Amino acid sequence: MTLAFDFAALSTDAVSILLFVLRVAVALLCIVTATRCFTSMRLGKRRKDPIMVLEDMTTHQLIPVLYWENSIGRSRSCDVVLRDQTASRAHAVLMRRENGWFVADTNSKSGTFVGGRKLKDRAPVFPGDIISMGSTVLMLKRTADVGAPPPAPPRRGAASPFSLIWAVLVTQILLAVQVGLSSGKLETAPMLPLGGLMACELIFYVYSIRLMGHVSFELETLAFLLSGVGLALQSAVNVKSAFTQLAGVVLGLALYRFLIWFLGDMDRVMKWRVKIAVLAVLVFAANLLLAKSRNGARNWVTLGPLTVQPSEFVKIAFIIVGTSTLDRLQTTKNLTGFIGFSAVCMGALFLMRDFGTACIFFVGFLIISFMRSGSVRTIALACAVAVFGSFLILKFKPYVAQRFEVWRHVWEHTGDAGYQQTRVLSYSASGGLFGVGLGRGCLKDVFASTSDLAFGMVCEEMGIVIAVTAVLILAFLALYGRGVATRSRSALYSIAACAAGGLLLFQAGLNIFGATDVLPMTGVTLPFISLGGSSMMASWGMLAFLKASDERTYAGRRKKE
Amino acid sequence: MKTTGARSMILFLLAAGFFFGLGVFLYGLVTDGGKWAVQPFNGHIKGNSVSSGEGSVYDRNGTVLAATKDGKRVYSSDLDTRCAMLHAVGDTEGNICAGVQYSYRSALSGYNFITGLVAPTGKSNGCDIRLTLDSDLCRLARDKLDGRNGAAALYNYKTGQMLCLVSTPDYDPENPPKDLATNPDYSGAYLNKVVSSTFTPGSTFKVITSAAAIENMPDLDSRTWECNGSVVINGNKITDIASYGTLSFKNALAKSSNVAFSQIAVEIGAQKMQAEADKMGFNRSFSFDGTDTAKSSYSVASAAKDELGWSGVGQYTDLANPFHMLVLMGAIANGGTPVMPYMVQSVVSPVGIPVQVGTAKTGDSLVSADTAARLRDYMRYDVTYEYGDSLFPGLNVCAKTGTAEVGGGKHPNCWMVGFSTNDSTPYAFVVLVENSSQGSVASAGRIASALMKQAGGVK
Repeated sequence: MTLAFDFAALSTDAVSILLFVLRVAVALLCIVTATRCFTSMRLGKRRKDPIMVLEDMTTHQLIPVLYWENSIGRSRSCDVVLRDQTASRAHAVLMRRENGWFVADTNSKSGTFVGGRKLKDRAPVFPGDIISMGSTVLMLKRTADVGAPPPAPPRRGAASPFSLIWAVLVTQILLAVQVGLSSGKLETAPMLPLGGLMACELIFYVYSIRLMGHVSFELETLAFLLSGVGLALQSAVNVKSAFTQLAGVVLGLALYRFLIWFLGDMDRVMKWRVKIAVLAVLVFAANLLLAKSRNGARNWVTLGPLTVQPSEFVKIAFIIVGTSTLDRLQTTKNLTGFIGFSAVCMGALFLMRDFGTACIFFVGFLIISFMRSGSVRTIALACAVAVFGSFLILKFKPYVAQRFEVWRHVWEHTGDAGYQQTRVLSYSASGGLFGVGLGRGCLKDVFASTSDLAFGMVCEEMGIVIAVTAVLILAFLALYGRGVATRSRSALYSIAACAAGGLLLFQAGLNIFGATDVLPMTGVTLPFISLGGSSMMASWGMLAFLKASDERTYAGRRKKE
Repeated sequence: MKTTGARSMILFLLAAGFFFGLGVFLYGLVTDGGKWAVQPFNGHIKGNSVSSGEGSVYDRNGTVLAATKDGKRVYSSDLDTRCAMLHAVGDTEGNICAGVQYSYRSALSGYNFITGLVAPTGKSNGCDIRLTLDSDLCRLARDKLDGRNGAAALYNYKTGQMLCLVSTPDYDPENPPKDLATNPDYSGAYLNKVVSSTFTPGSTFKVITSAAAIENMPDLDSRTWECNGSVVINGNKITDIASYGTLSFKNALAKSSNVAFSQIAVEIGAQKMQAEADKMGFNRSFSFDGTDTAKSSYSVASAAKDELGWSGVGQYTDLANPFHMLVLMGAIANGGTPVMPYMVQSVVSPVGIPVQVGTAKTGDSLVSADTAARLRDYMRYDVTYEYGDSLFPGLNVCAKTGTAEVGGGKHPNCWMVGFSTNDSTPYAFVVLVENSSQGSVASAGRIASALMKQAGGVK
């Protein structure tokens, strides 16, 4: 009898120690996989070798063409600078599209000519063609034709997609074991959502690498890692909501693939922009009409069995509407249309009293408008308006003002307005570096723990190491978006990637800093991790913009044809 | 594309803000993580109270002073021990801030940065704390205080180990009285008076005045004072309890003549008195196992002559903290520089690794070696000539008593501070009995005698 009891106690200890070892292993796997992805993405970036060359036919000087879209003009900020007083400041754009090189005139004074014919809008150019602007005459040439060394082969060291998917699957198997053992005995039901996720990942891997012939899998790997962490967390709390979360991943993957296809044709994107803007405004209008107030904000719409947060999808529309190709940027200098659209979006969010999302849209607006115009004045003006707006909110919405009052004073309000923050801090510290174990935390019983306080839950149950790794992944995604800004196939992708990366990072910041009292509390979700189907889908949508910005994304497809 | 690339730098701004925020959170976690974790609402700490961590507290002999059994905090099985150790150990509710259960709550709860509150075995095991205190000696001090309010402390001035630390009133931490907050008898029960209170020092302050005299009056031992019961300074009469006639300096200290010492203070002057008091640790806080002690105060910058006279005999606005007086005794015994007292001998993690070990730490010099040597002679003479060496047989104790008038219709506070000069019994002590109807030797002296005899192994 005594012996049996001792054995039971020993085995509980053994299970706990096994779970601890698994948590350490998952943390290390996450760090290694994330590092591998980011180094591989850095190595995968093309070197700054010229793609084509322009030869000045009077001086016979060779001008390298470095980018997929190149502005040509007198201005020193152009990619190809013309020392020609008769040329316009931003005269034309030379760009690579799927079916070859094009040159577009961007409202120049004297016009652009290809082969002696004046351009109306844009025209294809082939190697050997003469392009003349003002008094300058240029000939497009292949780099090989002017004796330049052939482009260097891609550097070695890029991670193979196969090794990455393996790392993700192993990590998630370890997570699933933790979820299964969270009650002390092995249960299979809570492991099913993670099993489903792994199946999705395999199918998606086979689809995009084997069938579509894509060569890179780093971004997807990172997103799968984050989704796995979130799903494990949800499975240990509530299996039913974990399945909803899994559905979010499946739909998110579909949206991701769709957006990558949609963004593939830049002319299609530019054509659809206005329609998407109108649709976004209609969605917001419908939201305002249909939504019922839920926890102070009217940002949820119930459609049959589904509850969706329309603002999550409008975020995607917002980026598509905001971004633009280089030739369009040069012809339409003003931001009026986009400012108007942004104002409508933010106004709708104010009416819904979803101020956290309004902040996210505002930061998106700042990034896009600055990247389009480079105008510090516009940014300053927008910020002034924002300060005025927040002043009005604080004056007329006392519950928002209250959040500012407890900010940095949460320990004086452990029983009321600082309840959630103090629990997050206390339980985050309780978890230590490797957490107390999935399902064994206490924060899960606090209101909104799986969404607004998700960062605290990761800290408590999975440990600071995984939590910090997860948010660093989001930070480096944003920096990756910036890093490929000059290497993407179009300014459209660059702007969209920077905006998407910035939004993901800012939203993550609002979530974790609000919950940990670094900033006032706002109810926004942590991308890929917080509970919420709409949020999960939107996170994958944002990732599509980053993926589109990687020049390898659309290279694979061309190879296939 | 070049300009697009340049403008994308705006994301660095965002990332910088993000890393800054993450830094703020992580910095807080590293520095305050223990404080964050050890909250009364934290579900990982069993027992729903601040201090009910899992670790045990022992005295120097291994006697259990506090432990957790079945999620409940329990204390020594002996009621007197529980009460005597209350202020050193602390209570369950976290009201006694100078107790180790409060000041070492993260260690007791088992919190550490690596594993948080829960060990890899899935249990939350706290560190055990072993104190330098001797619960027998503490119980003796409480027993001798016999229901009177006061404080007593005794430490080894060579090693710094605190052996006795008692403050009264006290109560039973296992069954706190219902009227703790309302009954005036329990007023001050949450305070460890040794560490956190100050009292009028009375004649014990003459040790400081003596040090100033030694350093400022070269002909001190050849001087005499006419002590005929009173002296008028600045129109204000300063009195003694008796007329002692002509007194040499050492007899003036032994008789504790206010007449002589008020004149000495006036002669030395406010500036030098202030400097001496400041050097000897007044107006300064000491650290005792992470708790800052209450500051003793001495301030004569704006005192009139008669007030300066009173300050020299430990009245006026003088206040002394018992811990400080203990350190000062340790310093005089130790050649002028004290070894600072501590009471946490070791903090040992559940796997048996000591995470903190108490060691002797030398404090700032409080008095010069020469002055200390002469003070020892005078204070030894106090005992042999006035108090009676039979109080401390064979221990070679140097001491000074004090009877501090507190007014308000109360009896005086009686003090005795001192130390043994024997190498085999290097103990210093401070005893304070509040509102005492007996003289200082009969009240504080008897307690000091009992403590020193037990600590020194005198049968």
